[in-house]
Amino acid sequence: MKLYLSTAPHIRSEADTHVLMRDVLIALLPTTVAGIYYFGLSAAMVIAVSIVSCVLFEYLWQRMTKQPVRIYDLSAAVTGLILGLNLPSTAPWWMPVVGALLAIVITKQLFGGIGDNFLNPALLARAVLLASWPARMTGATAYALPTCWSGADAVTSATPLAGYEASTLDLFLGNIPGSIGEVCKAAILLGLIYLLVRKVITWRIPITFLAVFALLSALVGQNVLDELLMGGVLFGAVFMATDYTTSPMNPRGQFIYAALCGILVCVIRNFGAYPEGVTYAILIGNIVTPLIDKYDKPRLYGRLKEQKKEGTVNA
Amino acid sequence: MHHQHEGKLPTRNIPIRDFVSDTVCIPMGMHLGAPSKPCVNKGDLVKLGQVIGEPVGGLGLPVHASVSGEVVAVEERQLLGAAPGMCVVIRNDFADEWVEGIQGYGNVETVDPAVVIPAIKAAGICGMGGASFPTHVKLSIPEGKTCDTIILNGAECETFLTADFRLMLECPGKIVDGLRAVMRALNVKRGVIAIEDNKPEAIETMRKAASGREGVEIAIMRTKYPQGGEKQLIKAVTGREVPSGKLPIEVHTIVMNVGTAAAVADAVIDGRPLIDRITTVTGCVQRPANLRLRIGTIIGDVIGECGGFSEEPGKIVFGGGMTGLCVPDTDVPMTKANNGIVVYNVKDARSVDESPCIRCGRCVEACPIGLDPYRIKHYCDKGDLEAAKQHHVLDCILCGCCSYNCPARRWLTASFKNTKDAIALEARRKK
Repeated sequence: MKLYLSTAPHIRSEADTHVLMRDVLIALLPTTVAGIYYFGLSAAMVIAVSIVSCVLFEYLWQRMTKQPVRIYDLSAAVTGLILGLNLPSTAPWWMPVVGALLAIVITKQLFGGIGDNFLNPALLARAVLLASWPARMTGATAYALPTCWSGADAVTSATPLAGYEASTLDLFLGNIPGSIGEVCKAAILLGLIYLLVRKVITWRIPITFLAVFALLSALVGQNVLDELLMGGVLFGAVFMATDYTTSPMNPRGQFIYAALCGILVCVIRNFGAYPEGVTYAILIGNIVTPLIDKYDKPRLYGRLKEQKKEGTVNA
Repeated sequence: MHHQHEGKLPTRNIPIRDFVSDTVCIPMGMHLGAPSKPCVNKGDLVKLGQVIGEPVGGLGLPVHASVSGEVVAVEERQLLGAAPGMCVVIRNDFADEWVEGIQGYGNVETVDPAVVIPAIKAAGICGMGGASFPTHVKLSIPEGKTCDTIILNGAECETFLTADFRLMLECPGKIVDGLRAVMRALNVKRGVIAIEDNKPEAIETMRKAASGREGVEIAIMRTKYPQGGEKQLIKAVTGREVPSGKLPIEVHTIVMNVGTAAAVADAVIDGRPLIDRITTVTGCVQRPANLRLRIGTIIGDVIGECGGFSEEPGKIVFGGGMTGLCVPDTDVPMTKANNGIVVYNVKDARSVDESPCIRCGRCVEACPIGLDPYRIKHYCDKGDLEAAKQHHVLDCILCGCCSYNCPARRWLTASFKNTKDAIALEARRKK
């Protein structure tokens, strides 16, 4: 009889990295389906090219650098799907490929691979694409109208944030121009519920993010509901700001980070040069994360203030 | 951490039964402290409860024969540790004849308080929840310290184990007697029996047994591993936190396992030494059980008593799933601290490969002490003991919550244990 020896614990939770990433993919499914429903096959193509190139780049890089191949942890697939959902359905085929290169090779692998990147890979890719090809990303011709579009203005149009009018219901259901994944808020909320139920994420980051953003929007005199439903703020708060690697580890730090993101989105939208600020807001949050983690420590057991006063604790 | 791996169902409702084997192998080093010195030789005839090992050093405890019969060997055997340990092997004659001179002190409410602690030492009692610290030492309050609360740990938050639960159901009076004996010995007015709320029957039974007993109360606690950890228990019952690096007496508290209290009652009332204990046998065995086992029973015999393995065993663990210790083979004997024997199949026993940390924060959220496990692990992996210390690795209670929850399957707890051992070793070298 051969017995294994190991140190405790001898049991592990079911949720390993693969299971968590699979859950994120499942949570993104409603959003993906809604995007394809509204924008048609071209949206499906963009998403497919994005996922395939992300996984392929990860595989090739890990083979090239003689690292264990970890594509089965599905993290590259998640990055690929999120990147695809961040692009307009009119994006040419090479844009998701360039995005995948930026996300997987430049942002993730060059900084050490899964867990070591300091920026959200899909977000950085989106930011670079946005800066390099602004017209193709958000210009007047970039956003195709949903195929079931019923608005009065029948020509292609810019995002609702750029002075576009749409009903609140259309904003909620996604019957508006925009990036593939950000339009259907109902689908994003379904995904959020799934993530919370499966305990993949906690409520702290998305809810704090949205609450702070809503509060500030109200303070500067905007229509809060429309602000929440326009642009990528919901998608960003649920699927991008909650990225494990680039958000703080401790609960209090997560509140600080999420609040910062919410504030930045509101500031950029209302006082910045861009109509939309979710990408940059979260990227700045990512950059601040190591700082938050450095100074925000959980309270240690056995270090009560009152007890210190009593002098029972030797410093 | 609420988790699904509680694993108590197979043995929860099975009453305790006795099992006595043909041969016992009694280790001399079962308690925390120097191993006892064997005082019998091969060929000697010993009686039940006879002292076969004499205490050595300040933390020393006597060891008693757990069966009557012939000493067939006094030799080193492989135990849980790396190096073999001295054992006395006795072939059982099943006469169960007690040694002369075993005499009780009477009712715990009327006994002279001064006899309690010597009786506990003479009975060879050490903590039966797992840590096996000599109980008489724990009850010797250092100069200048005071104790106002004694907590009996009936939380049994560890996975798989039901030994304490069955003891509370079947011997509640004994537990309360043990508590009262200790309270009177230390002149403490408050005794609390703490039980998790997933054991309503035990709460009910203990409440009945405690009613009318002076200063004894039952505390119901949320089921949440590691609720039964000494520090967590004290916090939950008294609201006090044990300062880092200090003992519970610092906050005027002593914590004992319910099993230890029952052994104390036996020692005081009947003068009976610690020769057996209740152990849960579960996992891949044909008939999971709660057994009253003589100290030194070989686990191969115990598994035989439970109908043998139900599938090919991959790992056998003394204790629960979160903190248990692996045994190297089935010839290892039971000790005073062993509250469970859990057999894992080959699939569950296989080691998991570490993958990179994804910074999900689950370890931080799971840590009951408030550590940054992911960060400490980084320093442990680098071998930077000083940095690990600065990030409070010595405060780690090795509960296993971080490792249990880690999606990257990192061996957090294991590396903290190694680091703590390395720091202790370094400190000893410097001395």
